[in-house]
Amino acid sequence: MEGQLLNFRYNDKLEQAIRKMEDLLKSAYNISKREIALLLLQEDEEILDRVGRQEGERLEKIYQVIQETKQSFEQPLNYIIAMERQEWANRVTDKVVVQNTAGSSRFGEILNKLTIQPLTGIPILLLVLYFGLYKFVGVLGAGEVVDFLEGELFEGYINPWVNNLVTAYIPWKPIQELIGLDYGIITMGLRYAVAIILPIVGFFFLIFSVIEDSGYLPRLALLIDRLFKKIGLSGRAVIPMTLGFGCGTMATMVSRTLETKRERIIATFLLALTIPCSAQLGVIMSLLSGYPAAMLIWIILMLLVFLLIGYLTAKVVPGDQTNFYMEVPPLRIPKLSNVLAKTFSRMQWYFVEILPLFLLGSVIIWVGNMTGLFQKLLLLVQPILVWMDLPPETAESFVFGFFRRDYGAAGLYDLQSAGLLSPRQLVVAAATLTLFVPCVAQFTMMIKERGWKMALGMVAIIFPFAFIVGILLNALLNMLGVLA
Amino acid sequence: MKNAIISAFSKSFSKNRKTNAAGCHTQAQQSVDHLPKIMLIGTPNVGKSVIFNKLTGMYVTVSNYPGTTVEVSKGKGRIGNTIYGIIDTPGMYSMMPITDEERVTRNLILEEKPDVVLHVIDAKNLCRMLPMTLQLYEAGLPVILVLNVMDEAKRLGMKIDTDELERMLGIPVVATVAALNKGMDKLRERIIKHGRPAA
Repeated sequence: MEGQLLNFRYNDKLEQAIRKMEDLLKSAYNISKREIALLLLQEDEEILDRVGRQEGERLEKIYQVIQETKQSFEQPLNYIIAMERQEWANRVTDKVVVQNTAGSSRFGEILNKLTIQPLTGIPILLLVLYFGLYKFVGVLGAGEVVDFLEGELFEGYINPWVNNLVTAYIPWKPIQELIGLDYGIITMGLRYAVAIILPIVGFFFLIFSVIEDSGYLPRLALLIDRLFKKIGLSGRAVIPMTLGFGCGTMATMVSRTLETKRERIIATFLLALTIPCSAQLGVIMSLLSGYPAAMLIWIILMLLVFLLIGYLTAKVVPGDQTNFYMEVPPLRIPKLSNVLAKTFSRMQWYFVEILPLFLLGSVIIWVGNMTGLFQKLLLLVQPILVWMDLPPETAESFVFGFFRRDYGAAGLYDLQSAGLLSPRQLVVAAATLTLFVPCVAQFTMMIKERGWKMALGMVAIIFPFAFIVGILLNALLNMLGVLA
Repeated sequence: MKNAIISAFSKSFSKNRKTNAAGCHTQAQQSVDHLPKIMLIGTPNVGKSVIFNKLTGMYVTVSNYPGTTVEVSKGKGRIGNTIYGIIDTPGMYSMMPITDEERVTRNLILEEKPDVVLHVIDAKNLCRMLPMTLQLYEAGLPVILVLNVMDEAKRLGMKIDTDELERMLGIPVVATVAALNKGMDKLRERIIKHGRPAA
């Protein structure tokens, strides 16, 4: 019957070539020889490789068939094959589909257009950022919820209780400090993880799940494709980039979906350098929310660095631009169960990953304090901090920001609560910490995806770059007399 | 509302799920080496992971944008009296891969011998997706065509005669709205009926 898959044939010349090819393929394959033949005719390199290994000297004849067939057509073979398949698909579709235009959703279409066109799309993006990120994650999550968990629960009840307990029952000062007091496993490690970072990433994952399930991200990709082209990325890179605001580690992995190696390198680098992860972002937002000017400076600086470095990297890494093509899924109302399931599973993943690291973090500080190593390391960092006019206490945040980005941010949060930082110092510290090396997990993922050399090279650039930007920013603000 | 929350909780904390230490995109991993295999194949964002979740009772991350699944998930699911190994793959547009994650899927097709291939497509884009069905068939794979998100196709005013499509193609065709559990029983029936008998 017409249309039956069983009866589908390409044009005679191609079919002849396929038959010749099938005869030449003597060894066994997991898929049909017909498909292998078709892939060979389209010069699929992996298949050519595989067949070359299996067929030995017959490979020469196979190349001969490919050449002959190519010469007998004007267009490339993969084009001809794709066209004939598509024509068949069209014939089948015509027979089974009745299109009735009345049913299309008007509202959805209007909303779709509004999100893609720059004139309306950019205001919509700003609204999403303002309400989704700033209000929901920054003010509600990092502000109110953290205030309650951290300020009331830990500082009000848990920490005093633990401190009293250890000082009353444990006679040795070192052990007291391991569990409680300033850097204790419970009073610092657990508090950072449970009361500061978890609520922030939880709020972020929740809003992010809603945004991703609504189908907004591919539209955002279309909207900023042109801007991204300038920095050597296609709009497709929007997805790993926005995921980076959730977690740089996961985003680095997703950069795999980009088409060229060049794009993957640029994306990995920008993710490591400029994109703050949700924990960092939330903490920074709540730190700076009291000073709109500081917040603005931070945003503009990050944007500038992002564009500048993207532009430079695109110049340095050779390669062609890719054409942007992306499936744009329909706008959908997110399903509550999926949003919640996804948020919980991500929070669970995150928590399982950070809790041991945070606890270990306080143990390491404890060891460092005991042995005096930590003080030496801090002394090493402090001169650089002096150039940035930062108080010596921030050294901790930097040393531990290397360990975990979010850890460093949480440390800043502590300093701010203690009133140790002026607005200018806050913005300089926040900017430097954002640019500063990716956390250990992200670095590991960079090695896995891009290789040792590339990952180390990136870190070698990022490290001094972050401090230089911090020093320059401080000097500039000083000169202009902004944010005294 | 309440049910949704409860089911979300139970999904997210179900024992079957393992979280991938490398990323928050949960990937499921169970050994399925000796079981008859069902492989889910299709372009990105057509609902392969939703169907995977329904068939295995596990949870892998589902989103409304292409490319959520970048690694292969494997899980077990009972269909009829047989326990199958079910494999969720990253999206793929044709048998000729362009990106790394497409390559992952093709290698899987070349290495594994699936007993059933579910070619999951977005019913709205039937016309653009049929060429891939053709390629899977040409490759000699036991294909069942799954027209997913039928509700959205209907909303766009598309009427698809699936019986006629099945007759025309000569392979099983099932219409589903996997997210709402519609058509999933029929899909299971077809898998039982048309899957290669377990060796």
